[in-house]
Amino acid sequence: MKKIDLIYTRLRAEERMILEALRKRDCAVELHQDADLVLPLDAGHWSGGGVVLMRSMSLTRSRYLAAILEVKGARVVNSSRAIATCGDKILTNLALAAQGIPMPWSFAGFEEEACLGEIERRGYPVVTKPAVGSWGRMVARIDGRNAAEGLLQMRFEMGGASDHVALVQQYIDKPGYDLRVYVLGRTVGGIRRRSEHWVTNTARGAVPERYEVPESHATLAERAAAAVGADIAAVDLLETRSGELLVNEVNHCVEFARSIESTRIPLPELIADYAAGVHP
Amino acid sequence: MQLQKQMDAKDVAGINGCPTCAFEITGDGFMEGEVVTCEGCSAELEVVGLKPLRFAEAPEVEEDWGE
Repeated sequence: MKKIDLIYTRLRAEERMILEALRKRDCAVELHQDADLVLPLDAGHWSGGGVVLMRSMSLTRSRYLAAILEVKGARVVNSSRAIATCGDKILTNLALAAQGIPMPWSFAGFEEEACLGEIERRGYPVVTKPAVGSWGRMVARIDGRNAAEGLLQMRFEMGGASDHVALVQQYIDKPGYDLRVYVLGRTVGGIRRRSEHWVTNTARGAVPERYEVPESHATLAERAAAAVGADIAAVDLLETRSGELLVNEVNHCVEFARSIESTRIPLPELIADYAAGVHP
Repeated sequence: MQLQKQMDAKDVAGINGCPTCAFEITGDGFMEGEVVTCEGCSAELEVVGLKPLRFAEAPEVEEDWGE
């Protein structure tokens, strides 16, 4: 019987479905709530099984727990490197850039006037988002200088030193949707997320529908997942009105509760297969 | 999996009641960390203990949660 440790923050619909799928595959699943784990920082062997499926919702906890467990000999899906890279959009963009993967242009800056000057040089509109953030929160479109001044002032005057970085990205005029491709070693399916709002995040109301992933999209998504070192990833693609395809983000802890009913992509089963498959 | 019923006022301190509205939540198959919605008041609750069954208001979403 294959032993798999599943680490979670909350047992949401996703985690319950994955748990059920693992048990159907005759896996012995041990559940660990991330808040309960207190682990010594040494190379002592992890008393759990060899494979850890990381489903913690918290970037801080998942990144550290994955790193600790890797030192203790566990095979963590996704790895600490993938989590740290995907969890920081600046590091994601750098990993993609290093592999020559097409994406919207972007820049990082550390001071209000310097960022404003660069935005003015490149032209409006642009998008700014927190380097570390999720569910489309605090993603803002900047249409002109007044908005840029206000948003950059907030970025650099609120929070702590680690928040004082601006990630500014090219605004892509999407045709009313973006694309999400699920990669589990290989492409297993995808969804189109439609919204009248320019933010096409299902956590913010975008409507998911299934789309048949063309070979070219699958190849690009697989390259993006490989670039950040992710076993399991949801790769967000932007299609421009002229048909150009760009990688926008790569997500390491795939959520699907809002989309599985309409898309019928059996992600819990596929994730369980993948985790069982990496078992030594 | 769960059955909820209105508790009498004298029972509202029951350990398996909703901490917000005191509806009793019974059943089996719960798992620690599971999030359930109270049918009495729609509060989002987290299972924080199994024996005995205990609920707490689910924590607010943390800044570093989510994909």
